[in-house]
Amino acid sequence: MDLDKLLAKQELCINDNLPSCVAMCPIHVDVKGFMEQIQKEDFQEAYNILQKRMPMAKVISQVCDHPCQNVCVRKDKGGDISIGDLEKAVAQYEGTVKKRSLPIPDNNKKVAIIGGGISGLTCAIDLRKKGYTVTIFEKNKELGGRLRRFVGDLLTEKVLEEEIEDIKKLGVEIKTGVTISQEDIKGLREKYEAIYIGTGKWEVEFKIDGITFETGIDGVFCGGRIAIGNDSIILSVSTGRRAAISMDRYIQKTSLTALRKEEGSYKTELKVDTSDVSEEPKIVPSSDVYTKEEAILEAKRCLLCECHKCYKACPHLQYEKLDPKAYIRKINHNERIILGDHYANKAINSCMLCGLCKSVCPTGVDMAEIIRDTRKSMVSRGKMPPSAHDFALKDMEFNMSEYFNLLKHQSGMDKSKFLFFPGCQLSGSYPQYVEKSYAYLMEKLEGGVGLYLNCCGAPGEWAGRDDLFETSLKKIYLDWESMGRPTFILACSTCYYILKNYLPDINIITLWEIFNEKGLPSGAHKGEGKNLVVHDSCTARDYSNIYDGIRDIVKKLEYDITEPHYTKEQTQCCGYGGLSYFANKEFTNFATDRRIQEEEGDYLAYCAMCRDLFVSRGKKTLHILDLVFGEDMEGLSIKKGPTLSERRNNRLKLKIYILHRFWGENMDLKEEYEDIQLIIDKEVRSLMKERLILEGDIKKVIGMGEKSNNRFFNPENGHCLAFRRIVNVTYWVEYEKLGDSFRVITAYSHRMDVQGE
Amino acid sequence: MDKKKKINKSGWICAKCSCPVEEGPIKAMYLSGNFDVKLLRCPVCKNVLVPEDLALGQMLEVEKGLEDK
Repeated sequence: MDLDKLLAKQELCINDNLPSCVAMCPIHVDVKGFMEQIQKEDFQEAYNILQKRMPMAKVISQVCDHPCQNVCVRKDKGGDISIGDLEKAVAQYEGTVKKRSLPIPDNNKKVAIIGGGISGLTCAIDLRKKGYTVTIFEKNKELGGRLRRFVGDLLTEKVLEEEIEDIKKLGVEIKTGVTISQEDIKGLREKYEAIYIGTGKWEVEFKIDGITFETGIDGVFCGGRIAIGNDSIILSVSTGRRAAISMDRYIQKTSLTALRKEEGSYKTELKVDTSDVSEEPKIVPSSDVYTKEEAILEAKRCLLCECHKCYKACPHLQYEKLDPKAYIRKINHNERIILGDHYANKAINSCMLCGLCKSVCPTGVDMAEIIRDTRKSMVSRGKMPPSAHDFALKDMEFNMSEYFNLLKHQSGMDKSKFLFFPGCQLSGSYPQYVEKSYAYLMEKLEGGVGLYLNCCGAPGEWAGRDDLFETSLKKIYLDWESMGRPTFILACSTCYYILKNYLPDINIITLWEIFNEKGLPSGAHKGEGKNLVVHDSCTARDYSNIYDGIRDIVKKLEYDITEPHYTKEQTQCCGYGGLSYFANKEFTNFATDRRIQEEEGDYLAYCAMCRDLFVSRGKKTLHILDLVFGEDMEGLSIKKGPTLSERRNNRLKLKIYILHRFWGENMDLKEEYEDIQLIIDKEVRSLMKERLILEGDIKKVIGMGEKSNNRFFNPENGHCLAFRRIVNVTYWVEYEKLGDSFRVITAYSHRMDVQGE
Repeated sequence: MDKKKKINKSGWICAKCSCPVEEGPIKAMYLSGNFDVKLLRCPVCKNVLVPEDLALGQMLEVEKGLEDK
């Protein structure tokens, strides 16, 4: 895996860009944090946040010209947030609290500030806090410059004097009534290591650098109105601050220009989706300053801007508490580990690979693609935990074997214009609908409809097993050629996704489109206006012909449709995708529950796995083929899906039955020890489900144990304990013999191979 | 260990050799791990008995640990 390429993908994610107000603020006050605290009614903490970035916060908060508000995302949804007024209010309520300041260690380097106005004071405070010995030269009798013009109801003389007093307490030396002009600069430079000019006007015109605020004279910097050419208070503050950074770097002899791109105002890259935000009018203060109650209401209008669209949409990211950037770093680390635990394996194998993240992301960050690549890399390095996908891959092997695989032209024909490929999960859950659909297709379509029972190979793709996946694709391709290149008719969105992406030569169409084109079977029951919440399969998100086709059928059958929030191209996975069902059951339950809690009504799915999972977690759900071929909708909507064992049996039985019904062929195909009679109570069945143990496995263990006598016996209770290693798993079954049957007491397995010496 | 003894007490015997199982040296292997451990086994045919709580407890833990190595 190319890890540099992986890390570069982090850059696509825009979520940690600043909200527009914070980026636009020339001193980047954390407006979002400030709002959050007011929302929580913590005015003290809100004021602390203000103070972190804002010098002389009691004063500047009252006079700031708040350019932040012009870019507020709330602007078109009831008006921008009154950030300026909220700052005023918070400072009024909390500004009286005495600041505690720690003594500053001196660095014994001297700097001079010419002009004790807004920018000069900011520059002086910032440099003093870094340990410089700072002297302010002010031509007037008192400091403050333009700030004094604002003295009135909100900014009192007293507050201004307090802030100036605080500057003195910091240890800044102040010389008032001293006029400095251009000719004094040279002399000052001999005494001071750097000079700042912030006098509003200056007799000489400098060529000022917009980033460093250098004047062209070595060691002399400037800011305030001389630099910005307008009256913005907050911009003045910003220039004083940025000049202070330059002066510090100049004296420390480090680069004046490095990493300063986003120091002043800029437009953020963050994008916030406001389509679901409703309008809320601004709160108008009842007097000069917001009351606390009004301030809280106004702050609550703040959207606390973030992107996080993927995080909000994806249960996997929420479950792992990872956003794409953190996830990519975690994968990078996991890939690089040589000694030690690969702690991210489970997370990587829990992603549903459903692609919702990409479809909601403003910049198209595709975690599914990244995780698919990661799984392949784990497999190729021998670092994929074998237990994660073993069951699903063995299931795939079964589905490709003679126990399910079937390829035939329509009975009595030697060519096929179409080839019905129902897929393994529909055959596992609804063998009867496969049979009915096939009969329907033969009746409606000319030119021969062949039947192809097989697996599309999706588990191989999901598990990162390129070897198995390639083999399966090759087999499908060759079978397709051998049948004269017919058009595949698909009833599973995952098969559709796989064939569309990996076997583009093959023409494909969905069963749903054929229903719509040729008319629904005559016996289909009408819905009489019943409402269904349509859940789209995650593998259908890129194919409007699938999700629109389904809706057409539903409408023709006279059902009403409710669209969930996540729908069509932005549908949310049921929890099965990407084999997360096998790698992390707890998470699958979480994801399934999230999906079914989205809407109250009954759901409609068109993937057997989605339907069965929803019902298993208590949601009434119908399959689209229930609507087309079913009888008792209420009963069908609560009917539990088959167990893992039954799914396999259904596939085998479907093959045997369908061969007999349509071709008159009898097939005697049995799995090893299939005739053994088992008695399994409900609790043991649920253990088996949890432990991914099939009835077939149990029969193989008991059959072999009875035959070879390789087993243990307990004379006290008459129980037997048989074991058998099948490929890479040892299965154990404790049982008792009851007549011709075997009652299963428990069953378990382990992967470790144990040999007695 | 207690549980192993309990099973031993509860009296599993090897159906093939009619011997009570007893603790003995076992080689356990999984992925990069090779362990010499003591587990229940038939002293004659050496068939190993892995009880349920061992398979789903300690053994599973070791397997998971090795899978993530």
